Amino acid sequence: MTGVPSAQELSGLYDRTRAELDSPKPNHNAVKTQLSQLKIALHNAQVELDPRFQLTKRSILEMGAEFSIKTGDIAAFERYIAQLEVFYYDHKHGLADSKVMYPLVGLNLLRLLSENLIADFHTTLERIDLAQLQSNPYIVHPVKLEQALMEGSYKKVWQARAEVPTPEYLFFMDILMATIRNEVASCAEKSYSSLPFDDAKSVLFFTSMDELLRFAQERRWAVSPSEKRITFPSTAENTRMFQGETIMKQTLAYARELERIV
Amino acid sequence: MATPENVTMEVEATPEQKLAESHLARNVKFLERGIATAEVHYTHRALRTIFSLRKRLQPDVLAESIAAHVSKSNSQVVADCLHRAAESLGQPRAAGTATKACEPEVCLFLCLLVQLYHLDHNEHERGAQLSDVFVEAALDLQRRTLDPIVSRIIFYCSRFFEVTGRLADARPMLLRALQTATLTNMKETKAMVLTLLLRNYLNYKLYDQAERLAARSSFPTDAPNNLLARYLYYMGRIEAVQLNYSQAQVHLLEATRKAPSTPATAGFQQTVHKIYVIVELLMGNIPERSLFRTPVLKKPLQPYFELAQAVRVGDLSQFQDVVSRYQDQFLKDQVLILVQRLRHNVIKAGIRSISVAYSRISLRDICLKLHLDSEEDAEYIVAKAIRDGVIDATIDHEKGFVKSAEVHNVYGTSDPQHAFDKRITFCLGLYNESVKSMRYPGGDHRKELAYADEAIKRERELAQEIENEEYDSDSDAMDDATDEDL
Repeated sequence: MTGVPSAQELSGLYDRTRAELDSPKPNHNAVKTQLSQLKIALHNAQVELDPRFQLTKRSILEMGAEFSIKTGDIAAFERYIAQLEVFYYDHKHGLADSKVMYPLVGLNLLRLLSENLIADFHTTLERIDLAQLQSNPYIVHPVKLEQALMEGSYKKVWQARAEVPTPEYLFFMDILMATIRNEVASCAEKSYSSLPFDDAKSVLFFTSMDELLRFAQERRWAVSPSEKRITFPSTAENTRMFQGETIMKQTLAYARELERIV
Repeated sequence: MATPENVTMEVEATPEQKLAESHLARNVKFLERGIATAEVHYTHRALRTIFSLRKRLQPDVLAESIAAHVSKSNSQVVADCLHRAAESLGQPRAAGTATKACEPEVCLFLCLLVQLYHLDHNEHERGAQLSDVFVEAALDLQRRTLDPIVSRIIFYCSRFFEVTGRLADARPMLLRALQTATLTNMKETKAMVLTLLLRNYLNYKLYDQAERLAARSSFPTDAPNNLLARYLYYMGRIEAVQLNYSQAQVHLLEATRKAPSTPATAGFQQTVHKIYVIVELLMGNIPERSLFRTPVLKKPLQPYFELAQAVRVGDLSQFQDVVSRYQDQFLKDQVLILVQRLRHNVIKAGIRSISVAYSRISLRDICLKLHLDSEEDAEYIVAKAIRDGVIDATIDHEKGFVKSAEVHNVYGTSDPQHAFDKRITFCLGLYNESVKSMRYPGGDHRKELAYADEAIKRERELAQEIENEEYDSDSDAMDDATDEDL
């Protein structure tokens, strides 16, 4: 366990980690340990206050964010982005705009979408420059996606898979697909009375019949292999029933209010 | 009203100046009386005259009064403030002989007038610097009688910062003021500071922070109406962005009601109504047409009127057309992103009207009518609409059409009961509120009580007499006695 790296060693360590990450087959474990060392070094008192290290600090955080995407660590990605927000929105610290700023911001938006945090998605969207919203491909992609999700045109979402600006987007797209598959399933239950297998497969974006059958079993749909149809359980028309309890409660409330002496 | 201060004047005073001086002197008297009796409405009276005083402020008159008060003020900090205020006016310091001790209220009142003077003469930088000093001094003093004056000083301070473009720098000052105001229970200042902080955050689009501030702090409920109206408007905007439309609608409606309906508040009404219309559309309700016809709102709300029409009809191309035409206007009102969210509502309205009109319609036709991109899109959208309860229908996938369910007799369901229930609870609540807020004229009820007391006494005596008579007159008048008992 090496001691806390000093300020001078910081840039050297950063360069080495960067090289490792950019190499064709990065050693993930090595990069991980190096990153944690870098993070500890960032808290070195000298570094925190020294304005010259701002650029290094930002680059380290961005590198951490990229790396966490590569390893699929969503929680770490969230933490890096939270720290990067200071650099992106509040104080630019006189630094030039980072090249990876908008890809990372777009990735964060996509993450919020995939976790169904729509309110946070919109508040983050408000902070982004309006010009970027309409022109920057990294941002336009999640925005269009959100609109499509709201309308319910899931086909567009499926097709958007092919148009991702960077490969990192695919990671969140897959999570998103799982979410919308559930959505589509619940829509299908209400709208169709029954579907043949092939149609069900395409509607639910499945590629193989086994996945479809497994999914149908999870959602307890009636599968009939002979006719090759899935029948959806019909929602019982219990709204037509006389709702005695509600009416009793309401009438009692009226009686109580009328007799009340305020 | 000749005052002791006039004694030191050497220059011939013009009638204007005399009038201004007399006003100032009267206000000072009000303030002092207010402090003496600890009644806050004297302070409010003094503050109300500021509007007329504002136009007549002359630097030399102000400097006079300041000089007169500065030598005998109680605290060093306030004296310092007055010195700087006098310097800022650029008038030579007249040697003042103050005849009475100067209360901090009066000093801060003069500081407030100096602020107003700078604001009116567009000396923003100087005003900003001065205001900083004033606020520091005011917060140090921590006297509750200073409440209305301090709240106005803070307002103008924040205004200076805003005009000079340094609004973010005002935040530390505002947060400190919030702390002091809460600790010393200065309600009006607290309300003002909360409103200003929200405005600050919204200016920089920090909706997260604004929402957290609103959630953690409690807005004083007895704040004056104009502050309450502003606060409700900011709350409505935050909630609209965070997709909390029902709360936003409640707050915005209250804001329109709390704001006085004089012509001076026209700008505020217009702004609030703009957001209100958008929130109503996002909730799926079309606002009343009469709203757009009120004379104050007619012109500014014209783009919103066309937007509402497009949403009602459900025509996506019309919607796009309106959005592109008025894009600059929406940008200026900071509602562009909210307007984009309306796209979904347009489609919903379109689907609803189609489903009601047709018992059976092919997906292809739906796609054409709604200007959607493909049939599959149309299918998914209709399926989602069915799931969300927008329409009542089934899709036949193989044959590719949508079949609407038959229209049930709505009176056969329990929907009317629920609608009635809502209205009944509202009316009962209204009745209770009215009874609670009934006012009885002051002394009359005591008179009535006296009457009532007398009447009861008389009755009791009468009953007593009758009983006595009964017992005296007849020994076996048991039947009558039992009647009396009953």
